[in-house]
Amino acid sequence: MCGIIKRFPGVLANDCVDFAVHQGEVHALLGENGAGKSTLMKVLYGLYRPDDGEILLNGEPVQITSPTDAIRFGIGMIHQHFMLVPSLTVAENVALGLPSSRGVITDLDRVSKRITELGKTYGLQVDPRARVWQLSVGQQQRVEIIKALYRGAELLILDEPTAVLTPQEVAEFFQILRQMVKEGHSVIFISHKLQEVLDISDRVTVLRDGAVVGSRLKGTMTKAELARMMVGRDVGFQRNRAPVTPGEVRLSLHDVWARSDRGTDALQGVSLEVRAGEILGLAGVSGNGQRELAQVINGLRPVARGHVQLEGKDTTGVSPVELIAQGLAYIPEERMRDGMIRDFSVAENLILREHATAPFARRGFLDFKAIARVAAGHIVDFNVKTPSQETLAKNLSGGNIQKVILARELSREPRVIVAAQPTRGLDIGATIYVHERLLDERSRSLREEKRHGAAILLISEDLDEILALSDRIAVIYEGRIMDIVPSEEATPERLGLLMAGVTKEV
Amino acid sequence: MIESLFTAQVLLGILTSGIRLATPYLYAGIGETFGQRSGVLNLGVEGQMLLGAFAAFYAVRQTGNLWLGLLAAILVGGLMGLAMAFVSVTLRAKQGISGIGFFLFGLGMSDLLFQTLLGTVQTVSGFRPLAIPLLSRIPVLGPVFFNQSFLVYAAYLLVPIANYVMNHTTLGLKIRAVGENPEAADSLGVSVSRVRYFTVTLGGVFSGLAGASLSIALLNVFQQGMTSGLGFIAVALVYFGGWRVWGVLAGSLLFSMVNALQLWVQVLGLPIPSEFAVMMPYVLTIVALVVAVQRVRPPTALTKPFVREG
Amino acid sequence: MNKLSKLAVMILLLALAVSACAPAATPASPTAPPAAEPTDVPVEAAEPFRVAVVTPSANNDLAFSQSIHDAIVLVQAAMGGPENMQYVISESMFVVDDAGAAIRDYASQGYDLVIAHGSQYGGVLQEIAPDFPDISFAWGTTVDTFGIPNVFAYEARSEEGGYVNGIIAAALTESNVVGVVGPIETGDAKLYVDGFVAGVNAGNADAQVNANWIGSFGDVALASEAAQTHVGAGADVMAGTAQMVVGAIGVAKDNGILWLGTQASQTALAPEIVVVNQIYDWSGIILEIIDLIGQGTLGGQSFEITLENGGLYMEYNPDFDLPADVRALADETVQGIIDGSINVLP
Ligand SMILES: Nc1ncnc2c1ncn2[C@@H]1O[C@H](COP(=O)(O)OP(=O)(O)OP(=O)(O)O)[C@@H](O)[C@H]1O
Ligand SMILES: [Mg+2]
Repeated sequence: MCGIIKRFPGVLANDCVDFAVHQGEVHALLGENGAGKSTLMKVLYGLYRPDDGEILLNGEPVQITSPTDAIRFGIGMIHQHFMLVPSLTVAENVALGLPSSRGVITDLDRVSKRITELGKTYGLQVDPRARVWQLSVGQQQRVEIIKALYRGAELLILDEPTAVLTPQEVAEFFQILRQMVKEGHSVIFISHKLQEVLDISDRVTVLRDGAVVGSRLKGTMTKAELARMMVGRDVGFQRNRAPVTPGEVRLSLHDVWARSDRGTDALQGVSLEVRAGEILGLAGVSGNGQRELAQVINGLRPVARGHVQLEGKDTTGVSPVELIAQGLAYIPEERMRDGMIRDFSVAENLILREHATAPFARRGFLDFKAIARVAAGHIVDFNVKTPSQETLAKNLSGGNIQKVILARELSREPRVIVAAQPTRGLDIGATIYVHERLLDERSRSLREEKRHGAAILLISEDLDEILALSDRIAVIYEGRIMDIVPSEEATPERLGLLMAGVTKEV
Repeated sequence: MIESLFTAQVLLGILTSGIRLATPYLYAGIGETFGQRSGVLNLGVEGQMLLGAFAAFYAVRQTGNLWLGLLAAILVGGLMGLAMAFVSVTLRAKQGISGIGFFLFGLGMSDLLFQTLLGTVQTVSGFRPLAIPLLSRIPVLGPVFFNQSFLVYAAYLLVPIANYVMNHTTLGLKIRAVGENPEAADSLGVSVSRVRYFTVTLGGVFSGLAGASLSIALLNVFQQGMTSGLGFIAVALVYFGGWRVWGVLAGSLLFSMVNALQLWVQVLGLPIPSEFAVMMPYVLTIVALVVAVQRVRPPTALTKPFVREG
Repeated sequence: MNKLSKLAVMILLLALAVSACAPAATPASPTAPPAAEPTDVPVEAAEPFRVAVVTPSANNDLAFSQSIHDAIVLVQAAMGGPENMQYVISESMFVVDDAGAAIRDYASQGYDLVIAHGSQYGGVLQEIAPDFPDISFAWGTTVDTFGIPNVFAYEARSEEGGYVNGIIAAALTESNVVGVVGPIETGDAKLYVDGFVAGVNAGNADAQVNANWIGSFGDVALASEAAQTHVGAGADVMAGTAQMVVGAIGVAKDNGILWLGTQASQTALAPEIVVVNQIYDWSGIILEIIDLIGQGTLGGQSFEITLENGGLYMEYNPDFDLPADVRALADETVQGIIDGSINVLP
């Protein structure tokens, strides 16, 4: 790709970018949220028309004006936000747009067989007949990968594929990538996790504000150097977790059972307590009940058995509105779907929760000045990269959308926070900021005499994050809490075993 | 008194009437289902039906050829559908209001054409009931099911065919994907606009046929505004049917059978005021929707124009 | 994008314009059939008398709306043609608000007489008429002028012809089952059906008359099935009122069932089975109203057309071979109603 320029209203997303991938290499693309990585890849995949620049394939200039062209040229893309049709089955999603061996009639049985084969070869198990909306995020990611593999992509674009995978899954996923590279495929890999980038990439290119800052070959780069290239300054990797004496129990679950969308028992007798001024980390492989647990606490999923208590009051079956009023904040896992309204502006999304109360509304009318003032504060605090407050949320980069939701949820001084994968998709700078914010919420009592800090349930598949932030760590496996350990006693190895369902005794 | 409803004569009468009354709903409802499953709400069905009914009637009146009448309805309905597709897909206009525009256009245009070309209510000899050999001789039910006009049979045949196309063909897969997540379909090289152009035009063709089924098969007359809201009921039946072809069949039959039933209730002199009797099909359909049918989500992208950003 | 949406709006407006203009203000045909009754209405040569009519259905619906249209065409001829009397009609105004707008429009354009032909227009007329005290309004079918001095009311005693049709049906039925299809059980339609039922019952104590209402003036398909229901119930003579009965007439024709019409001549639709039609001729009372306006009376009176004043009359289908005794019976009944010896709806 030569001299790619792409402008959006108010933004220069790609500023004359040169970018080259060699056959059989893994080329990582790095950059802060909003640096223009996804935009560049969408240009390559024919989703955006560049304002200027040229794409060369094997030395020949090519015109890629649509995904059809891209697929024909052997380019496959896995998007940062899944491009799946939730109501269709896995097999239907894979078969969509492909010619069928039976002419106009679909050949889903054959497609399913091939999916199972691919799944076996690459370790990407998924039921071809399952409907996509029933799958966990990790499983949906697998479907996306299968879709590209199924189409025999030569060059695979992976926009933050590992953001949603567990460490084990990442390891397996890298296995697949290496296998593909060995067979002559090329891979473009976008990630915010520097360790992964160092592990897998043959070459790294860093973007900042739409322009290329530099390229490095394998073995000639360090984490710190990459971070400096991305952010433009040095960044620290350490967190300070000040000691806090936990207060009263704010959130507790007693023997909670709940069903998944598919009707299976997703939660099988979960009991937990989270105290004021404490972060309880919930570790586990995706799809083991984390999503259902978060939904149950937030009144978004019926409880089959057992009780949920918020500050000693039974809140089983209470509506989300009332829970918000009682000081519960929720950072949902599927932020694109559950956390914001795509066609609302950034400012509107920032005040979505409290839009009906002062200072944003007076007697039913929105006070736009107050909204603008508060929104501006959030945008600065969380370093949201947006052309303006008026920009529609769907036009933000992936990471910046996350920041909008985080800003909204954390700025209310909530009493209980349920944070599901809060830093997924965030760049290093933002991740550090979110971690600091969560720790601040936890230790608010130190600053304000009478008030205790928030009780925080941190659901994450990132063990490093869990270990860095949590006071205690619970491990969930197949809907059951395997064990709860103080973070001082936790090691990645021990947690990894628990996450795989192995208890001490065995 | 109520037992007078349960005689063979009345039950067969209800069945026969219901089957006929459901015919235009089936055509229009199935056509609309295709459009809505791909994400386009077409509220112009009524107008398309009226123009289709007129075109079929006029062609038959002029040529005496029923097949030319059908062709005219298909062409006119298809053109109306194409225009709706242009406005809603290419121009990305608000679908609700442009549908109403097409309804009014069809209403006014069919009236104007009627005034200038026919001048007064006339009749044609349309599709006659066609007894299917053997089957129509089945005692009791044979004449009910197998002595109908060609366009009635075709409407019922359309149900399994449309269901098959929707659920078992690559085209149907594209239609469903485009209505749920056009971005995803687009990223796999499926042309969202092509699919929508196809479904909306097809919807127009079926609406035209729905009109023809009235003007040259069931009634054999044309009168201004003769569809009298049928097209809007067909759109409602798509919601009732949960955007499934079989659901549309169920809704059409339920609505039509209850309508036939209420006509009999009045004829038999049951002590129900006529004002209540005529409301029965609406009330029962709503009750059925609330009680029996589990809530189905509409296609996610319904009424949303698709724009590939950038 | 903006240009596109503008274009869309334009197309929409075009569609609206076509649909709004098409049925409205169709100038009435100047070549009218000769007048039923010659009259001597004083006509000022200087300025033509201007009449505007608003109707709920089309002027050729073979029913209610056509009846007023035909009448005005007759009146126009009687007054010496379009030079002396101008006539416009807004038809298919089934939306009452649209009709209201049309009525107000004609009034402000200074029409001498604005006729709101439909009982559903009463509400809007009651609001509009006081705003135009110099304009005369007429509305039907009703007897109520609201006590407004510039509103005339007119009504058809449709039960009279209904009764005559009922007597004929009773005489012709062999199965002793008669069916009648109505739109909505009120007003003119209800009067007609009640008269018809009374006539059948008076003419043949053994005959059973079934009525059903379809809840709509326009649903031709449902009217057709309503007729099928009567066929299924064994009827061999049928009647019906309002414009959607063209669907029922088709069913009668297909099944060889006799049909008794009303409001306008329906013979052309099915010459082999239509026996007789009760015809509405409003021209007499329209002429009377125009006469009154000429004398300075703009309203406050109500009129009705009856068999007696000739506003209603029975038109027999010449191609239908009606037995002489039945015809004599029907003529007797008409006479009885006129002289008051028969009370249709006691
Ligand atoms: N469709 C669009 N319309 C307007 N602006 C856009 C659009 N898509 C992206 N942008 C802007 O372009 C810039 C680059 O966005 P891009 O999605 O490429 O970032 P990114 O590097 O992928 O970031 P992240 O790590 O957060 O995913 C951002 O400022 C974003 O707001
Ligand atoms: Mg991105």
